[in-house]
Amino acid sequence: MDCKRAAPLLEAYLDNELDRAEARELEQHVDGCAACRAALTRLGELRAALRDRSLRHAAPASLRERIDAAIHAETGRVAAASGATGRGRRANARLPAWSRLAAACVLAFAAGGASVYLWKPHGGATVAGESADVVHDLFAAHWRALAAASPVDVVSSDRHTVKPWFAGKVAQAPLVRDFAEQGFALAGGRIDYVGAQRVPVLVYRHGQHLIDVFVLPETVAAALPPSLAREGYGAVSLRLGGQPAVVVSDMDGHESAALARLLDAPQ
Amino acid sequence: MSGVATGAWVGELAQRHLDAAYNLGRWLLGNEQDAADAVHDAYLRAARAAHTYAGGNARAWWLAIVRNCCLSKIATRGRDRPLDDVAAAQPRSAGDEVEQDADAAQARARIAAQLRALPPEFREALILREFEDLSYREIADVLGVPIGTVMSRLSRGRALLQRALGETMPERSDGL
Repeated sequence: MDCKRAAPLLEAYLDNELDRAEARELEQHVDGCAACRAALTRLGELRAALRDRSLRHAAPASLRERIDAAIHAETGRVAAASGATGRGRRANARLPAWSRLAAACVLAFAAGGASVYLWKPHGGATVAGESADVVHDLFAAHWRALAAASPVDVVSSDRHTVKPWFAGKVAQAPLVRDFAEQGFALAGGRIDYVGAQRVPVLVYRHGQHLIDVFVLPETVAAALPPSLAREGYGAVSLRLGGQPAVVVSDMDGHESAALARLLDAPQ
Repeated sequence: MSGVATGAWVGELAQRHLDAAYNLGRWLLGNEQDAADAVHDAYLRAARAAHTYAGGNARAWWLAIVRNCCLSKIATRGRDRPLDDVAAAQPRSAGDEVEQDADAAQARARIAAQLRALPPEFREALILREFEDLSYREIADVLGVPIGTVMSRLSRGRALLQRALGETMPERSDGL
């Protein structure tokens, strides 16, 4: 790579938008080129200056109160509007099956949201600290995926498609295997957020169940208990090819354990 | 019944990313009152448009709505309403460092002023990238423009900032 090709790539490199091969090529060039190294340093300095926390405006308490009140009013309004339960069943019967499933999932989400509120009154002082946030993010991400049009970003039952798809997007691509023969078919993968971290998620199907396997950084996983449950959904921790991971689904405990054993097993 | 649930989902999203929303509003609109009003509008709009969320980064979806509300606000208020003056708009300093860091404080004020002086399309791209850490794809979705446009706006914005900062502190190219 020469300067002419490297220069326009410096920003994409800084922004983490180059694929691995390009990034490596650029690094090799920058190692040997003082001009590009200086340009990259200047970009890094600008970034550091822009990311100074003093430039950020925190929401004033008055706005927080306003939004809380609006949420309260909004939830009440919608509850009142859907209060006429008599036609609920009939309306339901006209909807396609997937939308009933989505509605059920969203309902579970609301229930989850309510319990989250209990452990974390007003988002301030956390009761269980960081691990409560992680647990919350895991379930919230799973429920959001269930409610979304498609729970996967890359749809494939072929591990040779899914693994390279991750490679360009997260620091370490997870171990991807298909367990269709054992009843757990690989459906694809996506990137989701746990806290501020982008994490790879493997998606499996088992009968009607949609299963998310979150692959977590060690620091995030350290705070998690081996298993936990929220509103009929369960999470089981395991290790996937050396990385910590968590299975989140609405499967029975023994089904989750069976998948965890498969994932946990050496290749 | 799903409506109740949807409301709860959006409400929680808004609460969690309230600082991000307000910060975006502040940088796009320039004053506290308009930013707070835009975020409030955004929540109401989001709660009623929850069904439009189709996966992906929920925070980016929320920020896209906040941005749209900011644009509506700009359209209705016209160009006559002044932005905060520089001193008033200075965000609160994160640390409680004493003024021996006058240099650093000055440098920060300079960056805030230059960021505020950028054309809005460059400023918003930079804020989504540097403050909110969104990817090019996510910024493109929020702004409703192609990824190539996001890249060129970021690049132009950065170049303008570097030049402006270089001019205001010629002898200190290493800045902070």
